[in-house]
Amino acid sequence: MKKFLKPLTLAAALLSLSFAANAESWTPPGPIKMMIGFSAGGGADTQARLIAQAIENKYGWKILPEQITGNGGLNLAKQLKSEPADGTAIGMVVSETLTYSALSANQPGLTTENFTPLASTVAFQTGLVAMKGGAFDSWDKITAAAKAGTPIRFGVATDRWADVTYLLGKENGIDFNIVQVKGGAGVMNGLRGGDLDIGWVGGAQSKPVQQGEMVNVASAVSHRLADSPDAPLITDLGSKYTLNGYFMFIAPKGLDPDARKALGDAIAEVLNDPSTQAHALVVKNFGGPAVLTGTALNDTLTNLMSDSQNLLAAASAN
Amino acid sequence: MTEVLHYIWLGILAVFNGYPLFTLGGIAIPAAPIMVCGGLLTGIAVGATPGLAGPMAMAIALPILISVFGFTPDALLPVFGFLIGIMKGATVGGAVPAILFNMPGTPDSVMTTLDGHPMAKAGQPRRALRIAQLSSVTGDTFSDLVLFVCAPFLAVAVEAYLDLPEKTALLILSISFIAAVMGNSRGKGLLAVALGLATAFVGTGQALTPRLTFGNNDLSSGFSLVSVILGVLIIGEILIGIEGLWQASRLGKKKEDAPHDPAQDDLQPGDIGRIAPYVARSAFIGTIIGALPGIGSTLAATLGYSLGARRHFKRGKPGDTPFGEGAPEGIAATEAANSAVSGANLIPVLSLGIPGNAAAVFLILAADSIGGFNPGPQVFHFTSPQVNPELVTAFGIFTLMSIGNILNWTFGGRFMRAMGVLARIPGPILLPMVLLVTLTAIYVQQTSFFALWVTMGFGVLGYVFRRSNIPVLPFVIAFILARPLEQNAREAFSATGGDPWFLFHSATSIALILAAIASVIFLGRKQAES
Repeated sequence: MKKFLKPLTLAAALLSLSFAANAESWTPPGPIKMMIGFSAGGGADTQARLIAQAIENKYGWKILPEQITGNGGLNLAKQLKSEPADGTAIGMVVSETLTYSALSANQPGLTTENFTPLASTVAFQTGLVAMKGGAFDSWDKITAAAKAGTPIRFGVATDRWADVTYLLGKENGIDFNIVQVKGGAGVMNGLRGGDLDIGWVGGAQSKPVQQGEMVNVASAVSHRLADSPDAPLITDLGSKYTLNGYFMFIAPKGLDPDARKALGDAIAEVLNDPSTQAHALVVKNFGGPAVLTGTALNDTLTNLMSDSQNLLAAASAN
Repeated sequence: MTEVLHYIWLGILAVFNGYPLFTLGGIAIPAAPIMVCGGLLTGIAVGATPGLAGPMAMAIALPILISVFGFTPDALLPVFGFLIGIMKGATVGGAVPAILFNMPGTPDSVMTTLDGHPMAKAGQPRRALRIAQLSSVTGDTFSDLVLFVCAPFLAVAVEAYLDLPEKTALLILSISFIAAVMGNSRGKGLLAVALGLATAFVGTGQALTPRLTFGNNDLSSGFSLVSVILGVLIIGEILIGIEGLWQASRLGKKKEDAPHDPAQDDLQPGDIGRIAPYVARSAFIGTIIGALPGIGSTLAATLGYSLGARRHFKRGKPGDTPFGEGAPEGIAATEAANSAVSGANLIPVLSLGIPGNAAAVFLILAADSIGGFNPGPQVFHFTSPQVNPELVTAFGIFTLMSIGNILNWTFGGRFMRAMGVLARIPGPILLPMVLLVTLTAIYVQQTSFFALWVTMGFGVLGYVFRRSNIPVLPFVIAFILARPLEQNAREAFSATGGDPWFLFHSATSIALILAAIASVIFLGRKQAES
């Protein structure tokens, strides 16, 4: 059976290749498997599924979403690598997976250059979050409490966040008790239940901040947060590093440039179209679409990669 | 207080304004109440079929429901509705074959056969079924009311008074407690729990390199919850059933057909007054036992029946039918107790995320598969003005349970009496069907052959467990609790600044740890009782 199928798939691939000569006319040679590196039902998962749905509606391509979670997206990356590079397999991860996480897990085969980046969807809106009216709702209060000897529980969701936290504390002479929890939702639950004092949240804090339940003490990205324009940047508070990053779609390495363009454009198109549910979701929960494709995306990833290398070097030197 | 009322209202709205099933004359018909009704009828039918049990039907229904309703949080209430319907229906339906044919449909209804069947043989099957239904639904309703009141308070108290180390200690206590009270040997209970924890540790953890996978990529995200639970609970049970059939055919033993008396009969005047005190007492017993994870409805039924028998012996009038010979009080005492377990069992599930029986395990599995609802104390954050969607779901679940009870009160009894015929489906047809559907269900959800091998592997493990008299539920519950336990322990460790003795700093956590040790030492059930 395999002997018979192999030439057939090759022929099919060749055929699709000749069709793909014109980017406008590129269509996937079969149903697209969309791997999602986030647990079912969460914000990131919903985002990926709504994008899949919108592309199906708009382009008529068949997309089959599938959950491949675990190890900070590296499980997905590993599996995606073995899929055919013909546009029938794509995956949604965060830029951190292919930069910091791949480096830190010593998996050089899973870094950005081993994949074809298709498009980013939204940018992290990471803030340092605390309960409003609590003992830690400003940086002054935090440093004062630390000077007074109060142990401070700092919630983080990834190793990279933990490294940045550690170095931020070091710059300010504070030894935070860094607690790693499950995602930004875990940090917010910890804050509400009193198990944590402060923590990073990557954008989901927007609603509680707007409604006055929580505050952004500082912005962890390189721009001020839309919800809290007065909150300082962590780089102003002594941190040499930021928590910039994106949710993004990737495909295996060696994807045909026309296919890359067609897939990237399709994602950009549905995310920027105000009539789609995907657009509504990212506006509501992720600060709006931030779609980068092509060389702009490549450059951004190169920068994030060198930031990660510096961060890892600094964290292990300390 | 207004906040609580507001959330209750939102929960009710979520049920009636949620996901529409279809529109009828321009009005959207909400899916959730219809699903409760469908689940209830399925549950009664399943309970009435010997060899099938509520958890089995829940296992088969779950993947079908998820493929119909999808993975969005909107799907939560319709899916929970169906599962809760099955749970409630199966408790009532289990009495049918017990009374009519002396064959308990579920393990809980063994005690029902003692008085139910003699009463049916005496020409009063309808009266026996009516009494069973009334007592069962009363017990269930009482226990649900306790759940509605207690779960939020318990959750709020846990969040307010327990810090990370104490929560870790509480999880250790629940796992030890379950190991001690389930099955008939502490050693075997602890063995089951240890294996469950070890299984959960494969591929999980915080490091970016998956642990304990021996380089196998398929294991890098661990054993999936669905494969393990369905393998151990369902496939294992099917293998045992097939072995039983094989043994029976080898011995040439045939089940005797019980005679069915078609005599018309109904509740007698004074029946309700006569059974009321027994129902009340048993409902109370069942609720208390249900609230403790892992003890289960069989003990509740036994305890309810034996306390009922004692009371009947002391206070019974001369001329009353004695227990064991068709006393209505006997049916009532058993059915009220085993049904009262089901609602109260959700107290630890919703407020702490700790499942106590197989039905609760499947509710957690549903929540985990769909996402958007993580049972645990954080569900009961009464946030305002921002609405906490998990809390709305929790009150939606309460609404669904109330709908289930109302349906059970009204037409559950009539449907139940029509289900007697199901007891005649032969095992050689039933078991392969359940096996096929279970494996298909897993393939649909996981789309990987590896998942099927894992399921079969755990099925064999479940079979070996049953053959060696090792209880399977502690294994499954430990598997589910392993992740929260590890997560909490890690958080507690780092929150205390890396203190390895974090469990022994507060009086509460020391007390919980001592209770865990005491539960293993003192609570092991003796061989004779089982």
